[in-house]
Amino acid sequence: MSFPSGITNINNLAPEVPVQALEDFLSTPMFNLIHSFGVDLYHAEAYLGKTTRMSRFERLSTDGGQLDGSGIDPNSEVPVRSDIDAKMEIYAKSIVVNEQVILWENPKTYSKFTALLGQWMREKEDLLMRDLFSSSVSYLNATGGLNADSPSNPSRNDFNNIETILLNNDARTMLESVEATRMISTGPTRDAFICLANTALTNDIQNIQGVLLKNAYPSQEGLRPEEYASISRFRIFVSSKAAKKPSSSMLGRTVYTMPMFGLEAAAKIEQNQYTAVIGSRPAWVVSNVAQNSGLYARFAIARAITNQNWISGLNCTTFQPT
Amino acid sequence: MAFTILTQGKFTSDGLGRKIPVPQSADAFRTINITQLGLTPTPGVVIRSEWFRDIFDPNDGIRWKKADGASTVTMDTFGTSTASNGFTYVTAAPTTEAQATNAITAITAASPAVVTQTQTYLDGDILRLYNTTGMLQIAGMPFQISTVSGSGYTLTGLRAAGFLAAGTAGYTRRISKYEAVDPQYLYITEITKALNAVVRTSVDPSPHYAVGMLLHFSIPNTFGMVEMNQLTGKIVSIDSTEYTMTVDIDSTGFSTFAFPASTSVPGTTLFATLAPAGARTQYDPITGLQTGYDFVKQPFHTAEFTPYMFLAGGANSPAGASGDVIVWHALKSETGITNFDI
Repeated sequence: MSFPSGITNINNLAPEVPVQALEDFLSTPMFNLIHSFGVDLYHAEAYLGKTTRMSRFERLSTDGGQLDGSGIDPNSEVPVRSDIDAKMEIYAKSIVVNEQVILWENPKTYSKFTALLGQWMREKEDLLMRDLFSSSVSYLNATGGLNADSPSNPSRNDFNNIETILLNNDARTMLESVEATRMISTGPTRDAFICLANTALTNDIQNIQGVLLKNAYPSQEGLRPEEYASISRFRIFVSSKAAKKPSSSMLGRTVYTMPMFGLEAAAKIEQNQYTAVIGSRPAWVVSNVAQNSGLYARFAIARAITNQNWISGLNCTTFQPT
Repeated sequence: MAFTILTQGKFTSDGLGRKIPVPQSADAFRTINITQLGLTPTPGVVIRSEWFRDIFDPNDGIRWKKADGASTVTMDTFGTSTASNGFTYVTAAPTTEAQATNAITAITAASPAVVTQTQTYLDGDILRLYNTTGMLQIAGMPFQISTVSGSGYTLTGLRAAGFLAAGTAGYTRRISKYEAVDPQYLYITEITKALNAVVRTSVDPSPHYAVGMLLHFSIPNTFGMVEMNQLTGKIVSIDSTEYTMTVDIDSTGFSTFAFPASTSVPGTTLFATLAPAGARTQYDPITGLQTGYDFVKQPFHTAEFTPYMFLAGGANSPAGASGDVIVWHALKSETGITNFDI
């Protein structure tokens, strides 16, 4: 055996443990959750089946109604009720962890897995609501853009057309106005409908005539981080997971659907006695030799478009080929 | 040692593709054609097929095929030079299913319209058409196809006799038969002027709608019948062969419904669509018919369960020819897939 001499450094004596973990994990990517906050939340009772019915009486006819003094009663009217049904569905996800992961990873792994399941529940719910909007609503193709496709990239006129549809159908705005202040380069926003858009459209949105980017609102108080801009009577919220359909335009480009709606246009229903839950199963339950333990998350949801008169939207492409 | 979860079942083939739901997911899948095992047909047929996750591309897998009129078996993949359709594992819906973009050579301006195209589609498939030269007013629309031969098919939902010109080129891509949620919006191709308007859609509406359900109409002024725009009507009958629904809206005095000219696209607003707006319960004492209580189609619900395995149909595919009894196995490794190098 030789006995080296000199300065002991990391080249001739490497650290026993070559890596160390930071005090916390890096962030897990999470997309903007935009599809649930604008809908109504209801609850379904347990033990009454899995279909929830939401009913609306339509308004009575305003034709006629004048009494002529003869004592003859005018015709009575039968009120009309529209029923909207939604089926409750249950979703779940689990993670099974071997004890050696717990033993040799850093001690935060198990709690991080719990957080991952919590994030999964929120993301899954958002995507389910997105799917409702993309599947069960009528959209019009944008035509005012200049990319020579159908639908085109969105324009001011396209937004105005949808506003007209909603107003003609007596839809109510959902968001309050942000009043003007004397701050330079800001402008007021009117009471507004909600518009949900894919982040791939942000470049096009910035170029629409009259767009008011979020930073130009007179006040930033109470604004959601997902909000991007205001156009015409719409406040736009963006997500990388907002709806898109590949190879669907006239030229075969990706089409992005933008639902635009007001109050009471859609609903989300939770199931009583089946609260969203994150739970664990101990190792002696999961594994014969108590080596694997389990984490799970589950939730129940039903969803529905509750009034087609108060929701519409645009199909768009981007100015850049996709 | 990890164990394998196996789910199995059988079905009698109708010659068409079949979806097998696999809620536990699948790392491997196998089909055996029990009917053809002991036979020696000419031409030879596929008697066994296998698929492994992350090994095969969509619409592929391994096939065991009998030689013509003999019991001799050869083994290759569905994607080889004598290709036939295989397995497609679907984990999310809707999806653009596995088939390459396919070129159209002609679309007749007839009622119904007929497409000329070399392809391997099946009756009932739904295709999205785009870049339809000469017929750009339908570019981007999905159509359900029927009377399929190797060189073309019929678009039952498109009455194109009033179009100014035929389509001379274009492309198709097969898409899912359902959107993510049902009932779903549908594309309108025709509305009659009648006491009870008859609405034709580009696909068969019967899987999505039932009598008594309400439809909300979105008709851009470029489609003529502006009086129908934003109206809501109740379905009084459905015809699954003509792709039509009759609604309780009197359209007698309305303007005529018509597609805009191809030359106006892009620049003109597309499309005319309808969307689900609930239902009205009603009892007809004469017919004894109760409507508004269809708890299969009426409630908003997930249209397609995923994941599922799509088995292509036909004598040389996993789902077999009409009348074949097919046994299937879905295999799931407890520890997940192990298709990595060890």
